[in-house]
Amino acid sequence: MSSAAILVRGLKKSYGSVAAVQGVDLEVPRGSFFGFLGPNGAGKSTTIRMLTGLIPADSGSIDILGLRLPEDEIEIKKRIGLVPDESLLFDRLTGAEFLEFVGRMYGLDRATAIERATGLLDLLELANDRKIIAEYSKGMRKRVAMAASLIHHPELFLMDEPFEGVDAVGARLMKDILLDQVHRGATVFLTSHVLEVVERLCDRIAIINHGAIVTSGTLAELRSGGESLEDVFVRVVGAERELERLDWL
Amino acid sequence: MRLAAHRGASLSLIMAVIWYGGWCFLASMAFTLTAHADAQTLRTWIPAGLLVICFYWQIVPILSASMGSALDMRKLLVYPAPHGKLFTVEVLLRVATGLEMLLILTGGVAGLLANPATGGWRAVPRLLALGFTFILFNLFLASGVRSLLERMLSYRRFREILVFLLLIGLTAPRLMVVSDVQVGQFRGLDAFIQFEPLPWAVIGHAWLGGPVLGAVAVLCIWTLFAAWFGRAQFERNLRYDAVAAQATPRGTEQPRTGSWSEHFFRFPSLLLRDPLAGIIEKELRSLTRTPRFRMVFVMGFSFGVMVWLPLVIGRGAERHGTLEHHFLIVVSVYAMTLLGQVTYWNCFGFDRSAVQFYFAAPQPIFKTLLGKNLASLFFIYMEVLILIVITLLLRVGVRLNQILEVLLVVGICALYMMAFGNMSSVQYPRALTPERVSQGGASGRFQALVFLLYPIALLPVFLAYLARYAFESNTVFAAILGLAALIGGALYWVGTESAIKTIATRRERILADLSRGEGPVASS
Repeated sequence: MSSAAILVRGLKKSYGSVAAVQGVDLEVPRGSFFGFLGPNGAGKSTTIRMLTGLIPADSGSIDILGLRLPEDEIEIKKRIGLVPDESLLFDRLTGAEFLEFVGRMYGLDRATAIERATGLLDLLELANDRKIIAEYSKGMRKRVAMAASLIHHPELFLMDEPFEGVDAVGARLMKDILLDQVHRGATVFLTSHVLEVVERLCDRIAIINHGAIVTSGTLAELRSGGESLEDVFVRVVGAERELERLDWL
Repeated sequence: MRLAAHRGASLSLIMAVIWYGGWCFLASMAFTLTAHADAQTLRTWIPAGLLVICFYWQIVPILSASMGSALDMRKLLVYPAPHGKLFTVEVLLRVATGLEMLLILTGGVAGLLANPATGGWRAVPRLLALGFTFILFNLFLASGVRSLLERMLSYRRFREILVFLLLIGLTAPRLMVVSDVQVGQFRGLDAFIQFEPLPWAVIGHAWLGGPVLGAVAVLCIWTLFAAWFGRAQFERNLRYDAVAAQATPRGTEQPRTGSWSEHFFRFPSLLLRDPLAGIIEKELRSLTRTPRFRMVFVMGFSFGVMVWLPLVIGRGAERHGTLEHHFLIVVSVYAMTLLGQVTYWNCFGFDRSAVQFYFAAPQPIFKTLLGKNLASLFFIYMEVLILIVITLLLRVGVRLNQILEVLLVVGICALYMMAFGNMSSVQYPRALTPERVSQGGASGRFQALVFLLYPIALLPVFLAYLARYAFESNTVFAAILGLAALIGGALYWVGTESAIKTIATRRERILADLSRGEGPVASS
């Protein structure tokens, strides 16, 4: 069995003449909490979508949990939990109904799906809410999405901005759940623009810019001379701006 | 992609030419009729014609389950645009919902100009001034009616009742005319049409040589009233919070277990295994809670009955004996076609960006399509069952063998519809907003495609009926129907395979199309 939860080699994806991802190499060890960072439009979401099989790669290889995409697509999907940037919630279901549906789609029998859905809703403090998801706040939607990614007890979590729009209490709860999962042997691969969160949670980090990995390693390896993660990020993506040019502002 | 867009644009153009070509033909008929009619005939029929035009402008966009293009206030309110200018745009958008009537009006006015009884070319200023004011009156009124209805339709449970009442109101006069009610009993209607202060009567009489200044004054009052009504309703819509109106009231949240609705939703699990049962159950729950779907479902069984029933009862039955014999199948197929817009033609429409769940889940996409098709079929047969009950209650003369025939024929038609539907769902996906009853079901390109596909999908069954009529043989009918079922099954398999391949290659495009929201102008 491969020791890497995710092993990506020479991954490329273009949209017409625009190269969204150009030759990404990535290795995410099993049991790690991996932060995948980059400025807007750098290729983070495209990479995650390729990892989940939502979009095909132009070239390169993807191995997830020792299985090859797209050949073992169905088996891989069974073993990953996904929280994408865009909603995958069905608005006209209640939280409980949605979780039960997800559980059944991931192969759980109905009784088990209901039991797990009830437990997860209780854990994420949504148990008493029987409104349809369309009436949920953004934070509640994220919590349900998180619960949906947990219901089949996956080995690998792929999460695109999971804490966006979640209040402090909810975010804390979600972080605790993810840390607990990592302690139990699961792997978390997440993107976030909140660098403090990544700094606190992740043990390994990769930064992508213009579709290519510009740096990767442990947090300690990336920091040089006591820099914060934000300093590292700004330095490697070359994002310093000349505000003086906008003298009218 | 560019080729596909070009193909789509060509298709839209062809359909526009067919549709508006038909209306141009009717406009030329209006020209011929008004150009050659005598003064007495014109005096009787012009106010009636103008009333019909006014009626069409206000009502038809609602009956076709869309209310035409409109401004989406939630997207525009953040900008510092004066409300007056927004209202002007909104009023101008009403032209789009009455373009057909503009054509008819133009044909009619041109005919009047050619008719010596109305004064010939000397009447140009009179005809045009009053004609333009009438158009303006209709635009303002349509804007107000649309805003008012959009607000009313957003109230929970109210929209289905409103649609039902509207349909009854619209078809009741026709029902009375074609049944045994005597024409003499409609003198009140004639008096209403000719009642001078009403705009259609005022214009009709002034066009035919009546006092113009008085007519202009009365018409201006009507137009000002319509403008006030339109603006007032527009302003109320600006301040209206549809989301709050649609919120689940406390205490009426979805029941958990034990209720009759839960038994209904769990029903597929008794017959099928997951994931099919799960997908169908999800569809049943989602669709029954979707305002737009519920409205179309109600229209499916009520509108068909309202439209076709007058032709098969009373004196209508004598003229339409064949239709009476096939009444149930006609209304059932009609209901099925109407339901298509919110189900099988665009089966991922209400899922919107959540469609990616199906792409990410460890289930073959074939099962998703099959589950969605079975859910659509379930609702189609629910429509048919309701229609069977209605026809039995109305004593239209439906026998057991006809009921069995309908159940069979609808199933065969559904095979063809869903074969095409699976392909169109992935080739022309479009996000549907469940809460917006007024939102159009599809893009013009997609509607054009559907318009072309309906005759093709219904042709095999039509041929079976034609053969029964020609050979007067039920055996021939059954044989052709059997053949149609076999071809339908093969077509369904090919169509679904094609859809699966399209999903594999166009997954991103489908997701992007379904994630796209409406712009500031929501179109139909």
